[in-house]
Amino acid sequence: MALGLGFAACGDDDDGGGGGGNTVSGSNLTIYSSLPLQGTSRGQSEAVIQGERLALKELAPGNKIGKYTLKYVSLDDSTAQNPGTADEGQTAQNARKAASDKTTIFYLGEFNSGGTKVSLPILNKAGIPQISPSNTYVGLTTDDPGSEPGEPRKYYPTGKRTYARVVPRDTIQGAALVSTMKEDGCKAVTLWNDGSTYGAGLARNIELSAKQGNLPVQDKQRTDKNAPNYRSLASGIQTDCFLWSGVTGENGVQVFKDAASGCPQCKLYGPDGTAEAAFTDPKEGGIPADVGARTKLTVATLGVEDLPSAKPVIDAFRRQGVRNVDPYAIYGYETMALALDALKRAGDDANDREKVIEAMLGTKDRQSVLGTYSIDENGDTTLTDYGLYVIKDGQPTYSKKIVADPALIPKG
Amino acid sequence: MEAASVASKPVARRPADVARDLLSRFGLIAFLLAWPVGIVVQDLSRGEGLAPIANLLVLGISNGAIWALIAVGYTLVYGIIELINFAHGDNFMLGTFTAFALFGTLGLTLATGPLGLVFGLLVCLLASMVVCALNNVMIERVAYRPLRNAPKLAPLITAVGFSFILQNVGVLWFGSSQFSIPDLIESRNVLFEVAGVTVTNSDALAIGVTVPLVILLTQFITRSRIGKAMRATAQDPEAARLMGINVDTTISFTFLLGGLMAGAAALIYALYQTTLWYFAGFQAGLIAFTAAVMGGIGNLQGAVLGGLIIGVIQNISDDRLAAKWTPAVVFGYLIVIMVFRPQGLLGEETREAG
Repeated sequence: MALGLGFAACGDDDDGGGGGGNTVSGSNLTIYSSLPLQGTSRGQSEAVIQGERLALKELAPGNKIGKYTLKYVSLDDSTAQNPGTADEGQTAQNARKAASDKTTIFYLGEFNSGGTKVSLPILNKAGIPQISPSNTYVGLTTDDPGSEPGEPRKYYPTGKRTYARVVPRDTIQGAALVSTMKEDGCKAVTLWNDGSTYGAGLARNIELSAKQGNLPVQDKQRTDKNAPNYRSLASGIQTDCFLWSGVTGENGVQVFKDAASGCPQCKLYGPDGTAEAAFTDPKEGGIPADVGARTKLTVATLGVEDLPSAKPVIDAFRRQGVRNVDPYAIYGYETMALALDALKRAGDDANDREKVIEAMLGTKDRQSVLGTYSIDENGDTTLTDYGLYVIKDGQPTYSKKIVADPALIPKG
Repeated sequence: MEAASVASKPVARRPADVARDLLSRFGLIAFLLAWPVGIVVQDLSRGEGLAPIANLLVLGISNGAIWALIAVGYTLVYGIIELINFAHGDNFMLGTFTAFALFGTLGLTLATGPLGLVFGLLVCLLASMVVCALNNVMIERVAYRPLRNAPKLAPLITAVGFSFILQNVGVLWFGSSQFSIPDLIESRNVLFEVAGVTVTNSDALAIGVTVPLVILLTQFITRSRIGKAMRATAQDPEAARLMGINVDTTISFTFLLGGLMAGAAALIYALYQTTLWYFAGFQAGLIAFTAAVMGGIGNLQGAVLGGLIIGVIQNISDDRLAAKWTPAVVFGYLIVIMVFRPQGLLGEETREAG
């Protein structure tokens, strides 16, 4: 008996994961969610949580999967001093909390790729499966163009993959943005980024795609979140299109206000990091309506008309009183749905983290709210469609599906 | 007699001495002007004329005017009690929040007519000045006065502590995110253009409010009785006390003046940037403090000059170098100025420095 307990303890040790015997004892399993619940990303994070809770309610009635009972715990990876994005210290603390909890079976997060850079090695070492609802940074899963030296190996200290994501990586988004700009007749683009893992990484991909698409990129700049304004930078914009690769919390609203003013004829573009009310809605402190009218955003979620499979979920949200279903609520739903699907497929071994990881990474032709997709050996989704969003009445509103030209997707 | 005639003969100076003398007298000015002049030459050689650099100067001066008003608060306080009031920038931030809150209370929107807008903004200006001034006086009374005779580290730490407290008040008030506010003065609209040089509404506001305020403040400190008391206290508090000056009241009044300037800067900042957040005071405070040191801390004109120089450097660096290098460029300039003139551009010797 004592021997058995000792063995179980070894298996659950947060330093000893990743290998065999990483099994949760008992029938209670905990799913952690770690997202920035303060600052500008709060709206998107709450939408993700809404989606995760709905999926849990619908797909695991009574919080039961087979013989196991699930507990959902929401953690905040931001701080009051560092709102709107994952704070490195807080994120590490969340990951350690999950790693030291012997009942942890899934960790859903982070929202920001920079946060996942911190939590992934900790969770990988503990052998805990992780799914992000929103990470798009290339280097988390591949060494494709746009990644940095040593990536993604440095995030997987055990050498085994433990991470998956439900949104296409930035090589796809970069190509989607370039496709859109070319379709809009852009002759050249001014490309700024926020300097974050996500923003700078996506900017590198956009640049590569633009090069392949013969779209000149001019005036590459990194914006400083703490800069009071960007007027003199904006006064130097000489192109007919402007693209900022970043998240709202990195002073995105001021960037767009100054760019729109510095280049009154420019068409403006932003990535999914800005597709939130804090950016699009003037009443929420977002960009003014006249700037919004010139702005287009890309998000990996399609509208209902192009994604019939999402309709029942959107209807379920509406029954809960949600009028405008945030795209991230759909991501959140699918993140939880993928986790539950992996647990179901693991069957009686749903308490075995290694088996659950195998099931998660073995996902094939899954019919989901995002469409039919598989998870490849790196943890990436095979989905490639992006949605183009315009801003109407302060809300990101689906315009159409972007099918990125394969010739614009940089190859590794 | 012979000796006298020898002494009266002009001594031939070595070229090295002349060069050193010239360098020490004009080297700093040459250094400060080198980059802008280089840009002018470059622009002229490209046939672009003077408009690009003039536009950057206008932007820099209007940006710098805000830093200057905040820097005045740092320099006044340092001049009189040799304390770096770290809470000053955050007090300024609360001023921006006060101004924005009053927009709603007074019903100032984009639809408000020009007369209503001018009247409303004047009320906001006065209110934010009064709030910042009273706040500054309160901070001095609560956190600095009891530590007047304590080691210098003690008030410094309480200043840092108050900075965090004010930041958290800001978080409680309007949350922790940056947020956009209505652009009441259409800040980016061009007011007039001369020879390709554009002046926007916000440029005019920043310069139009800062210049008279600084002139008024200078006149007040130079000519008024309390201004003289401030200068006397700054020179020697003990002697001032012996001369019948109420030193505590004078110091409180100095904080009041600094707060008034921060409040004015707050409204200009809110209308100029149209994006606010609780951390803006920390960043603005850092820049303004740098401006005060660059100009010569304790010197009013120096603080204004420092603010304007930093504003111009920031804008030139953003435009001609890259935004990511701007903080390094600003502090590079500061270091060179400190090396040539440790007391700052217009600095005076403080009690501490001797």
